Amino acid sequence: MAQYQHHLDGIFQALADPTRRAVIGRLGRGPASVGELAQPFDMALPSFMKHIHLLEETGLIRTRKSGRVRTCEIDKARFAAVDGWLGEQRAIWEGRTDRLEQFAIAATNKELKS
Amino acid sequence: MTLDPERDLEITRTIKAPRSAVWAAWTNPASFEQWWVPAPALCKVETMDVRPGGALITRISEGGSPFGPHLSACYLEIDPGKRIVFTNALVGGYRPAEQPFMTAIITLDDHDLGTAYRALVMHRNPDDQKMHRDLGFYDGWGTVAAQLAALVEN
Repeated sequence: MAQYQHHLDGIFQALADPTRRAVIGRLGRGPASVGELAQPFDMALPSFMKHIHLLEETGLIRTRKSGRVRTCEIDKARFAAVDGWLGEQRAIWEGRTDRLEQFAIAATNKELKS
Repeated sequence: MTLDPERDLEITRTIKAPRSAVWAAWTNPASFEQWWVPAPALCKVETMDVRPGGALITRISEGGSPFGPHLSACYLEIDPGKRIVFTNALVGGYRPAEQPFMTAIITLDDHDLGTAYRALVMHRNPDDQKMHRDLGFYDGWGTVAAQLAALVEN
């Protein structure tokens, strides 16, 4: 469980950034070089590389270097095992729990006042 | 119950309300309708027969559309005030369902602040995820990622 939470935390952290979401979005269509990925962003290459490294550390992407070109691709296994479908389910149940909590607290407060 | 990280979800929360209030929110149809689906969608409880073998059927209306199917499940265990187990692998009266998907175990315990709440949701298999992907998961990825991010940022 702890291991799983660690993965989730990392994945959520990685996805909380718009640049990294855009990179994942692009890689969802297939592998791409770092140069190609960096092109849409007005950002120095070292800054962009930090995003790539974080995604790689989280296990969301894999990279391989061939000559001077580093190619990135989504690690489908990570998404498959932990995120996609499961993340969606989690969001549903988390939201439900949030609302249940609010409802139960409000109902209790109302009862205390009356 | 052992959690399988490939298939299960566990949500735990301390709710600052007594167990009786949380139990009522789960077992009173008018209350249940108020939190079961996210606003602005509306929920209607069609059947809530809180006993083992009893049906739990909810309907949903999104964007003002007519109410359509949402959940059709069967309660498996009821320990009043403490525990609810239900599954949509069965419908009311323990009859097998068309599309089994999950079993949920809701546990309420006393806590200094109110209620220790735990929802364990078990799914059939990780292959359901593959099906989801084949249905265009990667095309919809931007949306899913944004939703996930919104979840953590809030």
